[in-house]
Amino acid sequence: MNRQTFLRRSLAGLAASMAGCAWGNTRALRIGLTPVILADQAAFLGRWSDYLARQLGSPVTFIARESYQGVLSLLFSGQLDAAWICGYPYTRYQQQLQLLAVPLFQGRPLYQAYLIRPKQPQSVIHGWGDLKGRVLAYSDPLSNSGWLVAQSQLHAMGVKPRDLQKSFFAHSHRNVAEAVAARLAHAGAIDGYVWETMRQQHLAGADHTEVVWRSEAYGFPPIVVRQGARHPKTQQLQNILLDMASQSEGQTLLKALNLAGFQPGEPQLYASIARMAAQTEARLA
Amino acid sequence: MLLKLPYKLQVPLGLVLGVVITAVLVTVVAARISARTAKLQTLTTVQSVVVLLGIQARPLLTVDDTWRIFTLLRSTAALLPGIEKNFSRAAVLDPDGYVVAASDPTRLETGSLLLQAHREAPAVSATAEPALTVKRRITLESPNQSVTLIDPISSEDGQVLGYSYVQMDGAVFAPDWAAVAMPAALGGLLAVLFLVPAGWLAGIQMARPVARVAQCIAQIGYTGNARLVAELPSDGDPELSRIGNAVRQLISEMDVRKQAQKRAMSAERMAAVGRITAAVAHEINNPLGGLLTTLQTLRLHGASEPTRLQSIDLIERGLQQIRTTVAALLPQARIEDRPLALNDLDDIIALVQPTAAQSGVVVTSDADASAAFHVPSAPMRQAMLNLLLNAIKAAGDNGWVMAQLDSTPTAVHFTVKNSGNRMSSVDLERSITAESGDDPHGFGLWVCREIASQFEGRFDVLDTSAAYTHLVFWLPNRGKDAFTSVD
Repeated sequence: MNRQTFLRRSLAGLAASMAGCAWGNTRALRIGLTPVILADQAAFLGRWSDYLARQLGSPVTFIARESYQGVLSLLFSGQLDAAWICGYPYTRYQQQLQLLAVPLFQGRPLYQAYLIRPKQPQSVIHGWGDLKGRVLAYSDPLSNSGWLVAQSQLHAMGVKPRDLQKSFFAHSHRNVAEAVAARLAHAGAIDGYVWETMRQQHLAGADHTEVVWRSEAYGFPPIVVRQGARHPKTQQLQNILLDMASQSEGQTLLKALNLAGFQPGEPQLYASIARMAAQTEARLA
Repeated sequence: MLLKLPYKLQVPLGLVLGVVITAVLVTVVAARISARTAKLQTLTTVQSVVVLLGIQARPLLTVDDTWRIFTLLRSTAALLPGIEKNFSRAAVLDPDGYVVAASDPTRLETGSLLLQAHREAPAVSATAEPALTVKRRITLESPNQSVTLIDPISSEDGQVLGYSYVQMDGAVFAPDWAAVAMPAALGGLLAVLFLVPAGWLAGIQMARPVARVAQCIAQIGYTGNARLVAELPSDGDPELSRIGNAVRQLISEMDVRKQAQKRAMSAERMAAVGRITAAVAHEINNPLGGLLTTLQTLRLHGASEPTRLQSIDLIERGLQQIRTTVAALLPQARIEDRPLALNDLDDIIALVQPTAAQSGVVVTSDADASAAFHVPSAPMRQAMLNLLLNAIKAAGDNGWVMAQLDSTPTAVHFTVKNSGNRMSSVDLERSITAESGDDPHGFGLWVCREIASQFEGRFDVLDTSAAYTHLVFWLPNRGKDAFTSVD
């Protein structure tokens, strides 16, 4: 080891120590995750949190919950600084939330809801109207694609909830796909982005199911923060997210997420969800 | 097939067959026991799974969490026997008997009414209880061997929340015959590998005394009876001893029968000789009458020359006739009473020379009188004459015959060798023994045997490795005073 190498490594170690000290002085930024993404890939989340931490200069922790309500509760109780939630809860709690970033899927801040069925030759499910007397799997009661859209479409097709033989919540979009693939349910309401990503990764849930129906485009599930309780690094986190597509490591992470990048987003993106939610809630009230 | 094989093969093959049959029977019994035990063990395992499923499904049933019940079933069903071949499946039912979730939704569809289906199934309707009355774990077995376990899942206050349900096809309980039979088959194979050579050796050992008895029976008539009796097994297996004793009895009875036949044959021969003698005496009596008549004529008319010459001619012819007839009687008649002398051999040699000359046979003789002869001359001369004439005939054209007469204080021997085909003792017996009551083939030799028997001597063939025939005839040299006792 020559002197230059020694000095370079010593300085790098010193910088790392200083950064550690800085992280030690700043509370970790905690980001909540819902099943809007394939959140159980721990290795990926580790790489993403490391990336964000290096960019922020402070530690970042991802906290995943199976239900949207669980994440929202943590967010509103101040136990989370940001959360990646669905458009439907965003519209429900829009007054208390602020958009931080909206992912770009296939280049747009939009996605679709799917109705899927088992991949079998003699399936009787060809649309929402065929679900009478059948078993339907939902994702989460606060999911736009995994519940709200389904309620709207069933209503539009004249299928009342009691007309279904049975319905259940699978607690995630991925589970919906797996429940339909296993034929636990005859059909499932699922986030189109999640299903496409599963298909891209050749997961069994997507390989053994097929899409029967695709919705109109809705605002992609956003990353939000609570109004008035902003972490000091929140603005920096937004900048980092918006800048990920321009960095090599960020591109790699975005590719793993099957996303193109992030944009600031506008509340207007979720207007159609808000209208649909209002109609459905009024009808079910 | 097996019974047609030799005894020494029957024993080892019988042992092997016995082992194989035993191995098969043991395998069948072991397989049945193993199958029964395996079924009980399987049911015990499934009961444990049912209990585990009920405990874990209870809180999920309370909140009607179909997905988590499904994931619970998928993990729990992995404990079920035959799950890897899709022979078994588990489900959780709601209180009304509908499927909440199943480990294999393709077989037990979500929302289907399962307990009602059981009540309606003819095969189990007799034993199945109505869904609402299933208060304890029940096991339903159908004729196709499939088994279903239903266990109520109850709240702490006894309310039925649902049911654990496990269904197993009959194939789950089907014994793995190959695996069950393998140990017994290996044991049988090892036993066969050990018992085949052991049984083979045992069979040979067991069959050996029987083979010895069979060999002895086969040798009866060809080997001396005393030797055969000595070779028969006399100890060891009681059954073999009985067989040996029976064979001994058979040999003994055959000996007695043979002696009786021999005596009967001898008596028959003597009777025949008597008839011959009577006929010859009759033939002598006729010329004797003629001779007496002629002598009377000669006495009365002997002065006449023609009458005298005619009478003398008649007397001569009559005497010649008598001589001829008496010659035929020589073997049996006692015509002299003097002891044998050395010149008797010369007389006999002189008598056979014309016959020998006709065939070109060279006859040589030797005599050694180390001890005085005290044997009757007539039978001895007859025997010597017969033996020499037989030897000349046997020697064939241009052959040779050697005769020797010698004496010891105990016996007088006359031996004859000839260059003809070698005659064994068996050939001699065959030659002088009558068959089917006919006269013996070798009358002269038979006469020699009769003379030897009558005078307590012996006539036999000396078996040697030489190519020629060596006949020995001897009579006991009884001493000067004893000589006349043979009369």
